[in-house]
Amino acid sequence: MKSTIYIKCLLLVCGFYLASCEDQLDEDAELRSYQNDIDYSSAEGAYGALVGAYETFQDVGWEQIPLIAVRGDDVNAGGLGDQQGFADTDNYTYDNNYWMYNSLWENWFQDITQITSQIEQLELYRDGGVNSSLIDQYIAEAKTLRGFITLELSRVFGDVYRIESTDQTEITVETKDDLMQWISDQMDETIPDLLDVAPSNRTDIPGGITKYTALAVQAMANLELKNYQAVADATGEIINSGKFELYDDFYQLFKIPGKLCNENLLEIQYSDFGQSSGDNVAHLFEFYAPQNWTAAVPEATSGWGFYEPSFKYIKFMLDRGETVRLETSVLFTDRGIAEIQTDSDYSDLPDFVTNTTRDGDIINDYSRAYFASGKHYLPSIQLTEGRTTYGTNKNYTVIRYAEVLLMYAEALTRGASGTAGSADDAVNMIRTRADMPTLSGVTSDDVMDEKFAEMAMEWGIRYYDMIRLDKTSELNYDGRTFTMEKAYLPYPLEQLDISPILDEYNNQNN
Amino acid sequence: MRNTILAILLFLFQVTAFYGQDVVTVSGMVSDSQGVPLPGASVVLQGTTTGTQTDFDGNFALSNVPSDGILSISYVGFLSQQVAVNGKTSFSIALMEDTQALEEVVVVGYGTQKKSDLTSAIVSVDTESMEKVPTGQLMQAVQGKAAGVQISSLGSPGESPEIIIRGVNSVYGDSTPLFVVDGVFFDSIDFLNASEIESMSILKDASASAIYGVEASNGVILITTKGGKFNKNASISYTGYTGVQTAQNVLQMANSEQFVNFALESGSDSEIASVNSAMQRFGRSRINPNVPDVNTDWYDEVLRKAMTQNHDISINGGSENIAYSVGGNFFYQDGILDMNNSYERFNLRTKLDIKANDWLKVGGSIVYSNATKYNDEASAWQLAYFAVPILPVYDYLYTDADPLPYSDAREIGYRGSQNPFPTMDNSDLKSQIRRTVANFYADFQLIPEQLNFKTSLSYNHAGTTGRNVYLPYYVTDDYQRSVEESSITRSQVTEESYVLDNVLTYRNTFGEHDLTLMGGMSYRDNYGSYFGTTGNFDPSGAFVRDKEQTWYLENTSADSRTSTDSNNTYPYRSYGFSYFGRAAYKFKDRYLAYATYRAEGTNKYDETYVYLPAFGLGWVLSEESFMKDVDFIDYLKLRGGWGRLANGSVPASDGGVGSTTVKTVFNDQYYTGTQFETISDDISWEFTEETNIGISAKFLDSRLSLEADYFIKDTKDMVIPLSPLVGTEVSYQNVGSVRNKGIELAVGYSGKIGKDFGYSINANFSKLENEVTDLYTQPYIERGSAEFRQMITEGQPIDVFYGYDIEGVYQTQAEIDADPVAQSAIAGGTDISPGYFKYKDVDGSGELDADDRVYLGAPVPDYFYGGSINLNYKNWDFSTSFYGQGGNVILNRNRAEVIWTTGRNIDAELAKNRWTGEGSTNAFPSSEGYRQSWNQKLSNFFLQEGDFFRIQNIQLAYTLKNDKLPEIRFSLTADRPFLWTKGYNGFNPEVGFDGIDSQTYPIPSTYTFGMNIKL
Repeated sequence: MKSTIYIKCLLLVCGFYLASCEDQLDEDAELRSYQNDIDYSSAEGAYGALVGAYETFQDVGWEQIPLIAVRGDDVNAGGLGDQQGFADTDNYTYDNNYWMYNSLWENWFQDITQITSQIEQLELYRDGGVNSSLIDQYIAEAKTLRGFITLELSRVFGDVYRIESTDQTEITVETKDDLMQWISDQMDETIPDLLDVAPSNRTDIPGGITKYTALAVQAMANLELKNYQAVADATGEIINSGKFELYDDFYQLFKIPGKLCNENLLEIQYSDFGQSSGDNVAHLFEFYAPQNWTAAVPEATSGWGFYEPSFKYIKFMLDRGETVRLETSVLFTDRGIAEIQTDSDYSDLPDFVTNTTRDGDIINDYSRAYFASGKHYLPSIQLTEGRTTYGTNKNYTVIRYAEVLLMYAEALTRGASGTAGSADDAVNMIRTRADMPTLSGVTSDDVMDEKFAEMAMEWGIRYYDMIRLDKTSELNYDGRTFTMEKAYLPYPLEQLDISPILDEYNNQNN
Repeated sequence: MRNTILAILLFLFQVTAFYGQDVVTVSGMVSDSQGVPLPGASVVLQGTTTGTQTDFDGNFALSNVPSDGILSISYVGFLSQQVAVNGKTSFSIALMEDTQALEEVVVVGYGTQKKSDLTSAIVSVDTESMEKVPTGQLMQAVQGKAAGVQISSLGSPGESPEIIIRGVNSVYGDSTPLFVVDGVFFDSIDFLNASEIESMSILKDASASAIYGVEASNGVILITTKGGKFNKNASISYTGYTGVQTAQNVLQMANSEQFVNFALESGSDSEIASVNSAMQRFGRSRINPNVPDVNTDWYDEVLRKAMTQNHDISINGGSENIAYSVGGNFFYQDGILDMNNSYERFNLRTKLDIKANDWLKVGGSIVYSNATKYNDEASAWQLAYFAVPILPVYDYLYTDADPLPYSDAREIGYRGSQNPFPTMDNSDLKSQIRRTVANFYADFQLIPEQLNFKTSLSYNHAGTTGRNVYLPYYVTDDYQRSVEESSITRSQVTEESYVLDNVLTYRNTFGEHDLTLMGGMSYRDNYGSYFGTTGNFDPSGAFVRDKEQTWYLENTSADSRTSTDSNNTYPYRSYGFSYFGRAAYKFKDRYLAYATYRAEGTNKYDETYVYLPAFGLGWVLSEESFMKDVDFIDYLKLRGGWGRLANGSVPASDGGVGSTTVKTVFNDQYYTGTQFETISDDISWEFTEETNIGISAKFLDSRLSLEADYFIKDTKDMVIPLSPLVGTEVSYQNVGSVRNKGIELAVGYSGKIGKDFGYSINANFSKLENEVTDLYTQPYIERGSAEFRQMITEGQPIDVFYGYDIEGVYQTQAEIDADPVAQSAIAGGTDISPGYFKYKDVDGSGELDADDRVYLGAPVPDYFYGGSINLNYKNWDFSTSFYGQGGNVILNRNRAEVIWTTGRNIDAELAKNRWTGEGSTNAFPSSEGYRQSWNQKLSNFFLQEGDFFRIQNIQLAYTLKNDKLPEIRFSLTADRPFLWTKGYNGFNPEVGFDGIDSQTYPIPSTYTFGMNIKL
């Protein structure tokens, strides 16, 4: 009899315990972040995902573009003693254990992966009901960024990853040609979805990707493939749109007034928001800056002196009688000028070859280099009052209309047919802006010379042109010896260590 | 059996029915089966509270006993007996020994087991020997007493020691064992005093601990607090000691003369200039005029003799139906660091067990603990090494100083002020830790002696109130902490947990078959929160430096205050819901089988439920007929077990796709966007499977005992960071593996010589091997810092140090000229002179590069041993115990700090043994070389062998036994009085399991006088 009572009690107690407990196992942890709660029906959310893609592109480290650009005959690494690996690279001596190689690889592929992740998320916004054509446009912008970054990496390293999914098992290593074709095809996909305006005229994302940015990237990819007709088609469409023009003042193009002018098809944008202190998003232009100067604004600071226009380039420009382009591209020191003058052919130099810029900054001698890059120079008087760091508030120009015109001209001289005027027209537009006399019947060599004069110090354009054209002789300058086996940097050692698929492929330097 | 109980039940009713009949006075004698009187045996009239106890001669007398009543006679260790009065008045009762009770019973998961029935690796720690150690930290007293249990004590008062049972099996989770105190789960038992515990069993292997579920992957330490006993006279005891602690093995630093020699030889202009400045400022020594007239021994300055005391009162007892234990404990310990550094703890406890009726037993316990801790300023330990001896503590040339004119090494040219006293004197780091643990149970006898159901509810509340104050001081304008920089941080941590356990246990014997079945469920709810506010004092407010009453946030400036309600640990809320069971089967007392199973659900990871099986088998060979003839073996058991454990201490990955908010610039405006993670963490349970085989044996009339175990423990789902093919984000995933294997040996021998002299000797030894077995194709995971690199790499222990191997010291320029390694370094711009290290060119490449690094040793000791000797002669007893460990290396960070700052003191060993010319030494660099980066690479110069041997405890005691007085035991104790190290030149080789000696608080030696009074 008693037993029944116990058992009743027991069941009662058990029942009480059991009733409410199990569903607590589904409780979330405190302060856990809930990405599952993303509102995929929000157009603002989709827009935020796009901004996130731009952020990853615009958040670029200081060492990466110099490594892409340093090997041409237009620019040198600056003197030895620091960053030996950077100087060695400039001299075509490669060390796959040098940190900059790995930094460029790992950060830019991270950017590509990030952009790919943004694209995948944008698809979820489409599924969530956000306007599908808007999603198409956003994805097309992200793909254009991804295409451009892949293009630069392939130019540097040759055969690299093609990434179209964040699923790392789907990553493949492709040949450079296949990648360039893939980029071109990707641009074909994106162009119909993109806005038909100049980037500077965009209001939702000023300076963002438009149809013409994608066409320019497509032209660059086809240039690498020597598919000149495709180059002419893409560039011709940009020229024919009439939405771009060369900025009047070549000197100011690379300074504050040139920000978001409609010569620029792509810029990495920075700002100090016009405030003397507080938030400041800036590129580390000090890397390019002279190590010693007497600035017109005394508080303005100098930089590291790592990016030095070559004697070859300066003499080339002097030989041509260049004025504003040479003045804009090179900051002279007295030591550098004296060194030029030791060559009796150059004992008389034009007046603008001086250690004082037109904005009154005096470039003093420093040991690391003879010259500094003028295209990466911001006059101290253009600094927002209170800001003292070199280059603050300056944008980093990526693709500009002048390059488009020159790609068009080159394609035509190499046999392509164009609908946007003659090669002479394109070249002369550029020469006129540079105060140079017009030419007629331009040859491919004329175009390449013009491109050397116009695009020096920018993104290694010169170097990759010479590689494409097998002009190793141009790269044998100032005691360097270049052979085509040196065309690509070796894969970073650290990447070979972690990637089982990378060592199946060989670029010539591994 | 069942019938007997029913009969007794019937009797209960009859007693009431027959009450009111004739009464008599009864008397008699209680003895054991040999006729030896049993004093203190309980004689109770059944069904009432009327009762008495036998006197010293075993006699009793009880009046007003109904002539038809029943007397119940009981005594600990004997079977109770019921005797019907039946009108008799004189009794002679012989009690039978309860053989079952005499056999040692061990607390296991949700129950008890006879030690002889165990198949897994469980060790019971002798609580009496723990009480001999004068410490506030119970686990510190366990060091060296249990094979397989590694304990690294921390010297700071109130700090719990670090504990690892059978090796480290998680990199990102913790390796702390689970403590179960009276059924409640804890991760630390800093609130308990050794005198408060009745028993401690350590469940070492998976087959024993798996039943405790996901908290138990690092082993379980089961503690039962002291309770009363039924039918036992009240026993009142006082235990106390008081003593002094003093630093042991104090590191000898260079004195001023040695330091000045070293500085002058450095060739550094600034070092030489500093010595000259010191002479200008503080004068020249009269003994050696080339040395400043200052010789500060900074360790001597920062250390002090510190007192400690402990007082404990405990009252235990019980009547037939109620057993009780109440007590209180007070512990106090000053720190040996000369600042406001102490620990004080006050505990109260009550435990009751009540037989409510014949089918229900209820009980409960409450422990309240209130501790106040003043933390040390850990940087003092580093600065005491760092500060130069030519700097006095005070510099009276600073006449405006307030409160004290602390000297400043910058005054004589050094980079930092070096003096530890400004921070020590002006830090007040107080925390108050209050804890309440309450527990209630009801135990229902469903089928008497066979089936019972126990339900228990436990609650634990811990509140820690922190108040860290950094007080202002002024020496000069450049050397001060202004009021605006002074701060107060108040914090409140609250932790609460509930555990509800329901356990149904069935035991029965069928002929030669013994069976125990247990099934249960457990519900757990843990909650933790944090709130903290920091503010800087307002100089215009009411704050006064020396008035503690003004140290409030109210007196800080409003805009300096910041608050937060989260940190790495808090907040959390976790639930657990488990079903578990155990089956134990024994056949003919010689074949043992054992199995447990637990299914546990938690809300931590996406994988809610984990399933943890375990089993064990045992064979008692000594019961077999073929062993009967082997005389010297009294008991021999082979046992083995396997179990699966789950570790849930790695923080869960965030749900869904992680995202971060980013900002970027378009047209001089900020635009806000979102970036989604490119690779996600995927963290779940870390599973460990462990196999254990062992032998338990007793020889020579059970005087010699032996326990030996071998285990192999594989963790196959260890969380490690996984580098993706592409990109920089790492993903934490359960893809690593680590193996721990080892052997454990424990032997004991006890004996008697003559009538009065008894002795016992115990020793144990453990060897452990930790090896990373899989990193999911990754060659290594870097740990530590770039300067002091550690590695996780296959085939090596976790966090093995990784650096260069020193072959010797270049003695001559010719030797440098002939060495291609030195030449290639010189060509690369490095200076190498005689007196510099010669590193081993491991890969033979002719140059020293990253490929020449080798594994230099692991931070966790891989062998350790302990032992004790106990002697007693008449009223005297003497005991001593020892402990040793080794096989590890210690990174001497204090010595290695030279890579950051060269202007600093050095230890005397380095000063005396420095290279001074050809042939002087092949192990130490020159003074100049010590400062050069070539010699500062992580090498076996900075990593030293951690092996040590220490006398843990020596106690001599005399027990005063006198009929007129209570029993009093006087004792003298020396705790950790002697230490021998093999190679380590630091203060204290017990630096914790990270192997880095930087700000280690050394363990003091303690000398106490104690008294124990029993009524």
